[in-house]
Amino acid sequence: MAKYPLFYLLVISYIYVTAQDTQVVGMGHDTQVTTSSSDGTSQPERTLSRAGFLPNHSAAAKLTSQTTFGANLQTIEEIAMMGYADWVDAQMSLPLGPSMLDQVITYHDYRRVGEGDPDAGTSMNMWDFTWWQYHMTQLDYLRQRVAFALSEIIVISRNSGFGNQPYAFGDYYDILLRHALGNYRDLLEEVTYHPTMGEYLTYINNPKTDTSRNRFPDENYAREIMQLFTIGLFELHPDGTKKVDAQGDPIPTYDNDDISAFSEVFTGLMWGDRDLVLNQFFKGDRSRESYTMPMHMLNEMHEPGTKTLLNGTVIPDRSPVDGDADIQDALDNLFNHPNVGPFIGHLLIQRLVTSNPSPGYISRVAAAFDDNGSGVRGDMKAVVKAILLDDEARACDVVEDTQFGMLREPFVRYVQLCKALNLTTDSGNFRNAMRDVGTQVNQKPFTSPSVFNFFQPDHQPIGPIAEADLVAPEFQIINSQSVIGYMNGLNDWIIRDRPVDEYTLYSGETIPDNERSYFQLADEIALAGDDRIHELVDRLNLVLAHGRLSEPTTQLIIDALKEFPSEDEDDMDQRVRVAIYLVMCAPEFLINR
Amino acid sequence: MSHHRHHISRRSFLGQASCAAIGSTAFLSTALNLGMINTAAARPHIIGSSGDYKAIVCILLAGGADTFNVLVPTETTEYDDYVTTRSSLALSNDFGLGELLPLNYNDGGRTFAVHGGMSRVRDMFDTGDLAFLANIGTLIEPIVDRDDYYSGLKKLPLGLYSHSDQIMQWQTSVPQDRSAFGVGGRIADILGDMNTIPEISMNISLNGKNRFQAGQQTLEYSINDNATPENIGIDPIPGNYSNNGFLNQVRDQTVDSMVEDVYSNIFQQTYSTLTKQSKESIQLFSTALGKGSPLNTAFSDTGLSRDLSMMAKVINVQQHLGANRQIFFTTFGGWDHHDDVLARQGGMLPVLSNALGEFNEALIEMGLQDKVTTFTISDFARTLTSNGNGSDHAWGGNQMIMGGAVRGREIYGDYPSLHLGDQNVLNLNQRGRMLPTTSVDEFYAEIALWFGVSPNDLGYILPNLCNFYTPSCPSPVPTGYAPIGMFESL
Repeated sequence: MAKYPLFYLLVISYIYVTAQDTQVVGMGHDTQVTTSSSDGTSQPERTLSRAGFLPNHSAAAKLTSQTTFGANLQTIEEIAMMGYADWVDAQMSLPLGPSMLDQVITYHDYRRVGEGDPDAGTSMNMWDFTWWQYHMTQLDYLRQRVAFALSEIIVISRNSGFGNQPYAFGDYYDILLRHALGNYRDLLEEVTYHPTMGEYLTYINNPKTDTSRNRFPDENYAREIMQLFTIGLFELHPDGTKKVDAQGDPIPTYDNDDISAFSEVFTGLMWGDRDLVLNQFFKGDRSRESYTMPMHMLNEMHEPGTKTLLNGTVIPDRSPVDGDADIQDALDNLFNHPNVGPFIGHLLIQRLVTSNPSPGYISRVAAAFDDNGSGVRGDMKAVVKAILLDDEARACDVVEDTQFGMLREPFVRYVQLCKALNLTTDSGNFRNAMRDVGTQVNQKPFTSPSVFNFFQPDHQPIGPIAEADLVAPEFQIINSQSVIGYMNGLNDWIIRDRPVDEYTLYSGETIPDNERSYFQLADEIALAGDDRIHELVDRLNLVLAHGRLSEPTTQLIIDALKEFPSEDEDDMDQRVRVAIYLVMCAPEFLINR
Repeated sequence: MSHHRHHISRRSFLGQASCAAIGSTAFLSTALNLGMINTAAARPHIIGSSGDYKAIVCILLAGGADTFNVLVPTETTEYDDYVTTRSSLALSNDFGLGELLPLNYNDGGRTFAVHGGMSRVRDMFDTGDLAFLANIGTLIEPIVDRDDYYSGLKKLPLGLYSHSDQIMQWQTSVPQDRSAFGVGGRIADILGDMNTIPEISMNISLNGKNRFQAGQQTLEYSINDNATPENIGIDPIPGNYSNNGFLNQVRDQTVDSMVEDVYSNIFQQTYSTLTKQSKESIQLFSTALGKGSPLNTAFSDTGLSRDLSMMAKVINVQQHLGANRQIFFTTFGGWDHHDDVLARQGGMLPVLSNALGEFNEALIEMGLQDKVTTFTISDFARTLTSNGNGSDHAWGGNQMIMGGAVRGREIYGDYPSLHLGDQNVLNLNQRGRMLPTTSVDEFYAEIALWFGVSPNDLGYILPNLCNFYTPSCPSPVPTGYAPIGMFESL
């Protein structure tokens, strides 16, 4: 795709086909459209008829559902103009935004000054505000979306010993942002040395074996780095299907001896701000800054001797003991395991595109993981491109497919609402503790109940999905409480116009008026009268449901909205809000496909 | 996609609003009822009649609780083994220090104590309201000793020692299958039609979706720990909207229309079915909750106490929910103590103990203590040996069962020797991982029988159970089957 230069200047306009029906160009409606192009040789009308390579609006909107936390009409039009590949390339070339840790520290300093107390503490609002500020203001949408997906694969959680440490979360999320479009091996290494992971999976201050005390290395990280972060439980073919033995049973990737060997590797790491001496090793004291320095290795506490890793690789008996070299060997061993491509590729496809990718799709993504085309393994840009530009992600005929799609994650729906409807503040400074959404839908960043994320990749809800032996991970957090909670959340966020949870950053602070968040609905309100209500619903269908609402659903919503008064501006505003509520309650919106 | 939709106009909205009982919701409920009746007709051997109420309450201690510090042997030799093995993790048997509370129990010289933070558990044990199950764990078939385990001839649970598998297998009791339904779900599949209001599931969760309560035709009904008649429904459009009562109906009926539609895409269909069922249940549940009289028993302000308090409120209105049988579930998480196990258990076990004590008190207040059986489950117990100041994943462990129907002041099963020498054939390796001597199947079988499941249906609920009695599979459950003997009535 990238070899086609996309220099079209399409003249796109909304046209009236009949007196009361407005149709949007680029959704397959190409009659009476005039097109022109600047290079004189291409055929823009092919695009309008879906035969060309420029996406129509709903196809462009679909890309945003896989690459962003939600997009407004402007972004959708941008993609429609640029084409998928160029837009993805442009996203990938955007620089990393400001450090989340720095933002947390900025809030902390603000509190210190505000309270006139250099010892003033932190609050988790500082982390929540930071996450929100980045996502409301930075333009690297694709990086943000992939980083969030990674936060659901390489999981840490506030349900932990460091659950009140905003520095810890800021610094850890910076790793995810930094490597989301980098290399998976680098990501793995930074995570392994990060003290939040060290504390979460309990291998910080993990001593070598001492049989006199019946003391053995902690096995927690050894197990989870294999089961969850790299290779999974079973040997996989490159297409993600399980290899089987002579009896037809799946082949485990590791056994308890392997866990023992890896547990020995992850011994000797201690807080990065403590001296590398034995009498400091077991000291549990830590400061907020401790969470921002990589752990370092006290070789005296690292397990000596050989360690047999996977596939027969043996770490030599290093003399002197060199724990860091052991860790490098172990990470290389896992990273180069042939399972990583299909295993991680499958998880990323599930987070971004669809719950049940075909084996072919997985194998194409795994191939990109194995080799980015220049002989580099683990290149996340190549992996993400392979996921997004694959036919299976881009095909439009999946509308007819009864088994394709995924439930939009509840938290992502919430952010999507705010992005699509241009939530803004006058100062550009946002405040959102995200408490209401966390309570209503049981999801917000870093709040999963365990290292197994909010939901597991093989979850099968009762009913037709289980009967078809398919999976739908996100359904694991959908229940009678969260279904209603989501609807009540929508009622709070859009109908009652309370989109965010604003809090002060220190006692006695007054929230400045220019940090109050509001939706910008003027474009929508202009369409809320009976005569243009079709356009309103079409527009919301595009930006929220990327055109997936069927004609009958659209009509149902229009009919309902016409029951609402339209006397004045307030009425129009209310119509728009109810319209958004209804679109976002539609099963055709909720399932992304 | 097929669409069966009424054209919605102001007239039809008004019409439905004024005669809601014959609206589409009522029709669907009737259809569900018919479905239930058909299923019931196919199962003629159901026991049960109205007025015969029973509930079971499953508390999942998620993360794998270190239960060899919950129930500790105190006989001299056994305690010495405990100290040697557990080393820095051992609790002191100097009862004056309060790290252990002795139980009023002596089985041929074997004596035990509970963790010092569990005074209410100790009290309930001593008064016969609570019992322990020693060294219980997930098994597919009996494994008698270490050699048997390493022989390669025995089927082992999938992903032994891993959280995701073991926590699931304690809920399904089918350790060879990662996609099995839950024990509580399958019990409800069998007994579901004992309840008279099918829109309210027999299975009520205080912890959202879970495997334990998922059955072939059973979905849990999930509530919050602070549910009230007022706060569990769909929030209305705010009052500043003119004529908001009517507009609410317009909005909510539009959602109803969308979720009552039939979708060919199975994801859309699954979500819409869930929404529809949730909306139907809420109204009924809200009405029932409003009929409850307040309870005097005070509950602590902890997550688990709030959950159990909410269960008590639901049990208190069981007759208004048409419930003759209820299965409750909640999770008390955070037991994965690879680190700081002593300090962390010191904080968490009192929460567990107090919540159980308060719940027992509330049941006594309602006069339903004989009708409700509460038990704990957990992924696994932890290694007996230390990894510094914590313990790692292991297998067999100790659980509690509480209720008026339970023969209390007992330690069921076989509490193992904690000596790690070769002669201890239950110890699987140097870390101190105990081979379970009682299977989760046997435990659930007795609970199911007490709950009213016919012995003929145990095979559906516990497909591996026949591996644990003789003559074994495919023989039916022996007459008078009660392998553990936990209940007076069995």
